[in-house]
Amino acid sequence: MRPPAVLLAPLVLVPGLSLADPVETPSLLDRVRSGALPPVERRLPAVPHVDPEAGPGRHGGSLRLLMAKAKDTRQMVVYGYARLMCYTPELVLEPDILERVEVKGGRIFTLHLRPGHKWSDGHPFTAEDFRYWWEDVANNSELSPVGPPAAMLVDGKPPVFEVLGETVVRYSWEAPNAGFLPALAGARPLYIYRPSHYLRRFHAAHAAPGALVEAVEKARRRSWAALHNKRDSQYKNDNPDLPTLQPWAPETRPPSDRFVFTRNPYYHRTDTAGRQLPYIDRVVMNIAASGLIPAKTASGASDLQARYLRFDNVTFLKQGEGPGGYKVRLWRTGKGAHAALYPNLNAADPVWRSLFRDRRVRRALSLGIYREEVNEVIYFGLALTGNNSLLPGSPLYDEALRQHWAGFDPDAANALLDEADLPWSDDGLRLLPDGRPAELIVETAGESTEETDILQLVHDSWLKLGIKLHAKPLQRELLRNRIFSGQALMSVWSGWENGLASAAMSPAELAPTGQQQLQWPKWGQYHETSGAAGEPVDMDGPRRLYALNDAWRRADGPEERRRIWREMLEIHAEEVFVLGIVGGIRQPVVVSDRLRGVPEEGYYNWEPGAHFGIFRPDRFWLAE
Amino acid sequence: MLTYVVRRLCIAVPTLAVVSAIVFVIIQLPPGDYLTTYIAELQSQGEAADSGKIEFLRRQYGLDQPLWKQYVFWVLGMLQGDFGYSFEYDLPVSDVVGDRIWLSLLLNFSTVIFIWIVAFPIGFYSATHQYSWGDHGLTFLGFLGLATPNFLLALVLMYLLRIEFGISIGGLMDPEYVEQPMSWSKAGSIAQHLIVPVVVIGTAGTAGMIRRLRANLLDELQKQYVVTGRAKGLPNLRLLLKYPVRMSLNPFVADIGNMLPQIVSGSAIVSMVMSLPTTGPMLIEALRSQDMYLAGSFLMFLSALTIVGMLLSDLALALLDPRIRLGGGAQR
Repeated sequence: MRPPAVLLAPLVLVPGLSLADPVETPSLLDRVRSGALPPVERRLPAVPHVDPEAGPGRHGGSLRLLMAKAKDTRQMVVYGYARLMCYTPELVLEPDILERVEVKGGRIFTLHLRPGHKWSDGHPFTAEDFRYWWEDVANNSELSPVGPPAAMLVDGKPPVFEVLGETVVRYSWEAPNAGFLPALAGARPLYIYRPSHYLRRFHAAHAAPGALVEAVEKARRRSWAALHNKRDSQYKNDNPDLPTLQPWAPETRPPSDRFVFTRNPYYHRTDTAGRQLPYIDRVVMNIAASGLIPAKTASGASDLQARYLRFDNVTFLKQGEGPGGYKVRLWRTGKGAHAALYPNLNAADPVWRSLFRDRRVRRALSLGIYREEVNEVIYFGLALTGNNSLLPGSPLYDEALRQHWAGFDPDAANALLDEADLPWSDDGLRLLPDGRPAELIVETAGESTEETDILQLVHDSWLKLGIKLHAKPLQRELLRNRIFSGQALMSVWSGWENGLASAAMSPAELAPTGQQQLQWPKWGQYHETSGAAGEPVDMDGPRRLYALNDAWRRADGPEERRRIWREMLEIHAEEVFVLGIVGGIRQPVVVSDRLRGVPEEGYYNWEPGAHFGIFRPDRFWLAE
Repeated sequence: MLTYVVRRLCIAVPTLAVVSAIVFVIIQLPPGDYLTTYIAELQSQGEAADSGKIEFLRRQYGLDQPLWKQYVFWVLGMLQGDFGYSFEYDLPVSDVVGDRIWLSLLLNFSTVIFIWIVAFPIGFYSATHQYSWGDHGLTFLGFLGLATPNFLLALVLMYLLRIEFGISIGGLMDPEYVEQPMSWSKAGSIAQHLIVPVVVIGTAGTAGMIRRLRANLLDELQKQYVVTGRAKGLPNLRLLLKYPVRMSLNPFVADIGNMLPQIVSGSAIVSMVMSLPTTGPMLIEALRSQDMYLAGSFLMFLSALTIVGMLLSDLALALLDPRIRLGGGAQR
C-alpha cells in the first residue's frame, strides 16, 4: 500500500529518507546470485537520491537512438544528466550526486557527497576524486597548460581547496563566485572530480615510470599528458574502461556504427518504491547519415529522437506515426530568438556604424519587421513573435519586454527614421548621410533556406521604410571572419542561447563578453583576451551591461541577482541591440509508443535543459 | 615489357610526391583548421568551447606549427607506414579506416559485376539490332539511367524497399548485426542491403558502358573483315563472337583502371545518402571537417591506386589485344 500523495510529498523532501526497501533489478539478478555483483542494498549509496516523480516504471528493455557521428557518444552524458547539482524542470537548482551543499557568503562552498556512493566499477566515489582533479589535473602544468578552468577563478584567483573528510570537500574563494554551482549543473558540466583510481595509472606523478612509458608508446601518443587526456573522456564518453557516475555506461569501443550503453549498477537514484534507476537496461545508439535520420525515424528505427530532426520534418514525421509506432510531440525550443538580425555596432563602414549606434534607427528597423507574417508563412503560426528576450518558462519572463519595439508599425518606424535625418530619394529609397541609397547587405551562413526565406519577408516589409535589404549567403567560417573584422554590416543568427534563464544563471550573454556576440564582436573580443585584441566598449548602454554582468558575479543573494537581471533585460528591450524575429519555435520530438515517462509538453534546450536531461531519461521506461 | 613496367613505376614516384604536396595544400586552403570547424560545430549545438582547452589541443595536434613542418611530418610518417592521426575520431588513421575498406571492396566489386552482366548483353543487342525498336527502347532506358541523379534514385528505391519488403533504410545490414561476428543470417542481411546501392551506383556506369560497347561494336561491324567473314559464309553468331566482340571488349578491361580508385572514393555520394559503412562518406566527412591527416591519407591512397590501376589495365590490354602489344613495341 502506498501512502496518500499528500503525505508523500513532504516525506521525500527530508534528505536521507528512503521510502521503501531497495528492490533488485531483474536483469542483474544472475550476476548478484553468482556473486559477481553485490546486492542492491550494497550498491546504492547509504542515502540514495530518491526521485518522487520517477515511475512507477518497469525495469528492462533497450532504447534505440539515432545519431549522426561517433562523437555523439557524448549525448549519453547529456541525456544521462547525473550532475553534482542539477536543474529541475522548473529550473530550481538542487543537489543530485551531492547529498547537500552549504554556501557561506556566496564564496565558501562545502560539498557533501553521498557516503557509500560508488563508481560504475564498484570503487568508492570519495573526496580523493576531487583532490585528484584539483591538484593533479587542474593544477598540473602538463595536463592544464593554461591553469584551472575559468569557472574556477574569481578575478583570476583560484579557490582554496580542502578535504574535510572522506566525503566532504570545501572550495573557498576570496570573493563570491555565483557561477560555480550552475556550472556544475551544465549540460556540459564543469567536472571537478575524476575517477582517480583508474586515471592514476596514466599520471606521471602516480604511475610506475616504466609501465607508463610503455603505455604511451603502445597507444602512440606524444606524451603521458596526451594519453591521460585520451583516457579521461568523461564528457566525450567513449572509453568503456573509464568508470562513470552516469545512468548508462559505454560498452562499445570506437570506431563503430553502433554504440551500446548498459546500466550502471551503482547508480545513485531510486524511485519511491525502491527500484534502482535507470529503468531501461540498455541504450543502443545507431549511427546514420544526418540527412537520413528523419527518414529512418519515420520508419520507426528510433524510440526517442529529437536531435537531427528539424521543424520542417514535422509533416513528414506525422505521416509515419501509424506504421512507425510513434507519436510526434512538439516541444518548445529555448533560445531567446530562433532567428535574429545583428546590426554590427563595430562595422568598418563609418556611416552605417554610426547609424546602427543610433537607437532610433535600431528601433525603426525592429518596428519595420512584420513578425506575424514570418510566423504564419514559415512556422505555421506556431512560433512566438517578439524581440530577443526571455521566453515563457523562465522565472524572469516578461511579455512586455519581449514585445517592446517589436510590433509592426511602419508609420512609427518612418517617423523615427525621418527624425534620424535620412531623407527619401526619388527612387523610393532613403539616402544615407553620405548620399548613398540605403541598401543594406545582410549576410547569412546560408546553411538552410529558412534564413533566406525570412530575409525575403523582411526585405518586403523594410521596403516600406525605404531600406532595401540584400541577402548574401556565405560559408560559415567566412561569415564569422567578416563579422569579426567589421566587414559585414548585418548578419542573421539565433538569439541568446539561454532564453529560459533564472536569476541564478549567468547573464554574460547579455553583456559584451564574447566575440561570438555578433552585434559587438570587437568589444567581446576585448573582454575575452583581457584587452590584448579588439576594442574597448565606447557606448553607454553596452558599458552599463558590462558593469552589471560584473556586479552579478559579485552579487550576494538572489534578490540582488534578480534586480541585476531585470535591469539588463530592460536595457536590451529599450535599446534593441539585436532585432529578434521569432522564438520558441517547435522541436519535433519523436517518442515511441512503447516508451513511457516522457512528458507531453516540454522544452528542448541545451542550457539549461541538456536536451532530454532535465526530464531525467533514467525515469523513462519501456512498456511490454 | 619489363623495362616498360619499370619505367612506369619510376614515373609514379615523383607523381605521388607532387600529388601529396597538392593534396596537402588543397586540404589546408579553406579558412580555419580542424579545430575551428570543431568549435563551430560545438557552437551550432549550443555548446561552448573552452579556449584554454582548444589551445591545448592545437598544440597537441601540432596545428600551431608552420605548414611545411606539418607536411614534412606527415610525409615522413607515411614513408614509415604511419598514416597519421585522425582528429575527428581521435584514433590512428589506419584504425579508423579498418574494416570499412572490405565493405567498400565488396560493394564496388558487386557493382562492377552488375555493370558487366547488364551492360554486355544489352550493348551487344543494341549494336546488332541498330535502330530497331529494341535498340531505341534500351537506349532510352540507358539515357534515363545516365541522367537520373544517383542520390534521387537511391532515396526512391530505399523508400520502395522499405514499404514493399520491409528492408531497413540505409546501412549495409540490419542494425542488430553490426559488431556481430559473420554468420549466415548476417551475410543474408548484407546481401539484401546490397541490392539498392549496387543498382543505384550501377545504373550510371551501366548506361555509359552500353554506349561504349555499342559504339565500338558498330565500328567493328562496318569493317571489311566482317564483310569478308560473312561472304565466306561464317555463321552469324560465331562470326560476331569470334572477331568484332573481342575487339570491342577493350572498354571493359580499360575500366579496371578506374575501378580501383572508385573502390575508395567512388559512390561516395550514394553511400552518404544511404549511410553505408564504406570509405566514401568517411572521406567526405574528413574533408568537410578538415581532418587533414585522414583526408590526406585517403587522397594519397586514391592517387596510388589510380596509378597502379592504370598500369594494371594497360598491361591487361596489352595481353588481350595483340595490336596494342605490337604497336607499343614498334614505337620503342
